[in-house]
Amino acid sequence: MKVIINDTPIECKEGELLIDVMLANTINIPHFCYHQDLGADGNCRMCMVEIKGQKRPQIACDTFVKDNLEVSTISENIREVKRSILELELLNHPVDCPICDQAGECKLQDYYMDFGLYDSHLNTPKTKKGKNIDLGSNVILDQERCVLCTRCTRFTSNITKTGELGIIGRGDSARVGVAPGHELNNPYAMNVVELCPVGALTSKDFRFKQRVWFLDSAKSICHGCSRGCNIHIDYNETKYCDEKVHRFRARRNSKINQSFLCDYGRLSYRELNESFSAKVSDVKDLRELLKDVKKVALISPSMSLQQLKFVKEFCQNRNIELFSTAYIDESFSDEWLRTNDKSANFAGVRELGINSCEEEFFNSLKNAEVVLNFDHKYLKENKIEAKSLVQFTTTNIETGYELIFAIANFAHESGTVINCDGIRQDFYATKYSDNNPLLIELLEELK
Amino acid sequence: MLTKIVSKNFEIPLSNTLDVALKNGRYSSLKSVFEKEPQELIDIIKESGLRGKGGGGAPTGNKFQIVSDWQGSKYVVVNADESEPGTFKDRQILLYDPHLLIEGIIATCYAIGSNCSYIYVRGEYEEFSDVLQAAVDEAYEKNFLGNKAGYLVDITIHRGAGAYICGEKSALLESLEGNRGHPRLKPHSPEPEFYFGEPTLVNNVETIASVPFIVQNGAGAYRAYGTEKSPGTLLFAISGNVNRPGVYEAEFGVSMLEYIEKLGGGVRNGKKLKAVIPGGASTPILPAHLLNDARLDYENLRALGSSLGTGGMIVLDEDASMVKALKNLLRFYHHESCGQCTPCREGSSWSDKILDRFIDKKATAADLDILKSLSKSMNGKTICVFAPAVSGVIDGFLKHFEEEFLECVK
Repeated sequence: MKVIINDTPIECKEGELLIDVMLANTINIPHFCYHQDLGADGNCRMCMVEIKGQKRPQIACDTFVKDNLEVSTISENIREVKRSILELELLNHPVDCPICDQAGECKLQDYYMDFGLYDSHLNTPKTKKGKNIDLGSNVILDQERCVLCTRCTRFTSNITKTGELGIIGRGDSARVGVAPGHELNNPYAMNVVELCPVGALTSKDFRFKQRVWFLDSAKSICHGCSRGCNIHIDYNETKYCDEKVHRFRARRNSKINQSFLCDYGRLSYRELNESFSAKVSDVKDLRELLKDVKKVALISPSMSLQQLKFVKEFCQNRNIELFSTAYIDESFSDEWLRTNDKSANFAGVRELGINSCEEEFFNSLKNAEVVLNFDHKYLKENKIEAKSLVQFTTTNIETGYELIFAIANFAHESGTVINCDGIRQDFYATKYSDNNPLLIELLEELK
Repeated sequence: MLTKIVSKNFEIPLSNTLDVALKNGRYSSLKSVFEKEPQELIDIIKESGLRGKGGGGAPTGNKFQIVSDWQGSKYVVVNADESEPGTFKDRQILLYDPHLLIEGIIATCYAIGSNCSYIYVRGEYEEFSDVLQAAVDEAYEKNFLGNKAGYLVDITIHRGAGAYICGEKSALLESLEGNRGHPRLKPHSPEPEFYFGEPTLVNNVETIASVPFIVQNGAGAYRAYGTEKSPGTLLFAISGNVNRPGVYEAEFGVSMLEYIEKLGGGVRNGKKLKAVIPGGASTPILPAHLLNDARLDYENLRALGSSLGTGGMIVLDEDASMVKALKNLLRFYHHESCGQCTPCREGSSWSDKILDRFIDKKATAADLDILKSLSKSMNGKTICVFAPAVSGVIDGFLKHFEEEFLECVK
C-alpha cells in the first residue's frame, strides 16, 4: 500500500496515520498538538494537508492512509492555509524570542521561517495572560507564549494520570494552569517542559543557563536506574570553552521510555559536571600495592559491558576476587519507568558471571588487605576499617583513602549496557574532552 | 397559518401538570408504540421524513437506525442546551408541555432499545429545568417512568454550566461525562455518538417532542404538512423589531414575509424591513430585497445563501446599524468560543476586536480586508462548525451591507 505525497509514492501500512507516515519519511509537516506518544487531539490545525478529492483541507493527524491517497503539503493553497493558521497561533504571542529559553528549538520560530514570513496584520491590543508562574517541580509557565496544544494537560491526564494541569477559561482567555492551592507534583513532571513545542513551559533547572544553539548532543542511556531510558546528553560544543553537560532530554524509544524520562533521571546529569578536588594518586603506587596480598574488588553495576569485561580479566590475571552488587532501592520503583535497581547494567554483571552475592563479598572483605573499588556507591558512601582502600571514582570524593584515581564518567566513554528487560543498548561519548582518563586506559598502564 | 402539532397544548392552563396533560392526550401514543415492534417505529420515523430540529436538519430516522443497529447499552440524550441568540423554542416545550417531551423520550427509547435517557438543559434555564423536573417526578410517581412502567425508561436531568458550545452534540456528551465541553473529532464513517463509549442518540427537544404525533398518527399525517423535502412543522421563533415577538408553530415552506406579517405582527412602528437573520444568530443575514419569495424551509433558504437553522428569525428594521448588529453577534462568539481550535479561539476574538475599530470609527480600509481574510481562515478548518458559522455571519454582513462598514472607515 502506498500514499502519494507531493507526487512521490511512499510505502505505508493499513491503519497508519498520515502524519506518522510523513514524520517517518521526514516530510516537513508542521504540528503542535500531535505527539507520537500522546496521540492526536486535532486542536492546533497546523498539520492541514490538501487531499485530492476532498473539498476542504484535512488534518494529517486525524487522516488514516488509504491506497493511492494523493496528498499535497506544498501547494500554494495549502501553504496559504498554514500561513493563516500560523498567523492566528502567533497573534497574541508576545514574540519575546530574545529572552525566551525555547528560542532555537521553538516550533513557532521554525514554522514561521518555513511557512510564515508575513508582516504582522495585528491592529488590536494583544490578549494579556499570566507570566512567570511557578507550577512546581521546576516547571515555569508563561501563558502568553502558549499555543494551547494541550500536550502538557494530556500528559498529566492520560500518562501520569495525576491530572494536575488543565485548561482554565475558554475562547481567547483559555490558559493552562493548576487548580488553586495545587501544584504540578509528580515524579515525571518535567516531561511537560520537553513536550511543550513552544516557550510556554520552561525548566527552572535549565532556563537562562545556555542558548540551545551552543549545545551539541550525544545519544546516550540514562544511568539512573536499570530501565535504560534513551536520552540525549546536551552539552556545550567544545569551542565554547566551558565544557559542561546542560541537560538530559528523552530520546524516543517506543520499546522502553517512549518520549519520557523521570525527573530523577533527567536531573542526574548534574553528577556528570562534578569537579574533582581530591588529589589524584600515581599509578606506580598502585602497582606496588597489588603485590602478594589478599585482594578483593567491587565494581559498580553501572559500568558498561566493555568496562566490566576488562576489569574482570584484569582481576583474574592478578588474583583479585571481583564482586558487583545491585543498587536496590525499593522506594524508588514505580509501575512505570522507575525500577528498584538504581544501576544501569546489573543485567550485564550477571551476563559476565561476576559474583553478585553480598554475603560472599562481605566475607571476602573481612580477610582482604587491599580493597579496590571501581566506582561502586557502597564503598564510596560507607567507611570500612583497617584496609588499604583504592578508589576509582567518577565523582568527587573525600580524601582519606590509600589511593584515589579519578576516571571519566559515562558521558566520555562509549559503551553498552543491558537494561532490566534484557535489552542491550549502546551509548556514545560526547565530543568534549575530560581531564580524567578512561578506566580502561588507566588499567592498561599497569600492564 | 398557525399549525399546532407540538404546540397544541401550550395555551392550556397548567398543561405542565400530569393531570391536565393526561386530559389533553399526553401519553396516549404509548399504547400504539408498545403494540409495535421497535423497527416498525423506526421505519415510521424514516417515512415521516422527520428532520432534526436543532439546526442541522439531518434525517432523524437514519440516526435512530444507526444507534439501534449498534451493539452496546444505548442512551438517549435530549439536547435542551438552547443557547443560540434568536432561538427560544425548546424552552416553550419544557415550560408548557414537558410531558410531551417525556412521552417522546419513552417512545424513542423503546424504538432504539434504550432504557436510559438524559436531558441536558442549558445552565441558564433554571426555571424551565425546575418545571421539567417536576414533570419527570410526576411521571415517575404515576409509573410512566421507572421500574414499574410497562417499558423501563429512566430520565435524568442534567443542567449545563453556561456554555453555548455544549449545544454541539459531541461537546454536550463530553460535558455530560464530566469533562470540559470540547467538541470531539468527527468520525470517519457513519456511527452513532458515544456516551462513555456506549452508542447514544442525541436529538433536539423539539425533534423528540415530534415523535408522539408521528407514531400515533402515522408518517402520512406528518407529511401532510410542510414540503416534500422538509415535511412537518417547526416551532419558528421571531424576535427583533416586530410587534409580536414569540414562538409560533407553522408548516415548513410558508412565506417568510407572510409569517413576519401575520404571526410576528409586522415590523414595529410601521418601519420598513431591512434584513432578517433567518434561523438563529449563526445563519447568514439576508437583506429585505432577497426575501420576496423566501420560504421557511431548508432548501429555499439554502438557495438564498443562508440556512433555516433553528427557525429563530431575528428581524431588523431600516434603522438598525449593521455594524452594531455584527458587533453584537461577534461579541457573543468571542465570549462563547470554547478555545479548542486555533482558528476559532483566535479568530473569534480578533474579529470582535476589529469590529470595535469600526464602532469607534477608527477602522482603515485594511481592517475590512483583514476581516475578510480572517473569515476565510476560520471557515472549514476546525473540529466543529462554530468557526464556520462565525465566518458565515461575517461574510453575510459584508456581502450585503459592506457600504455601512465603509462608512465607518476613516
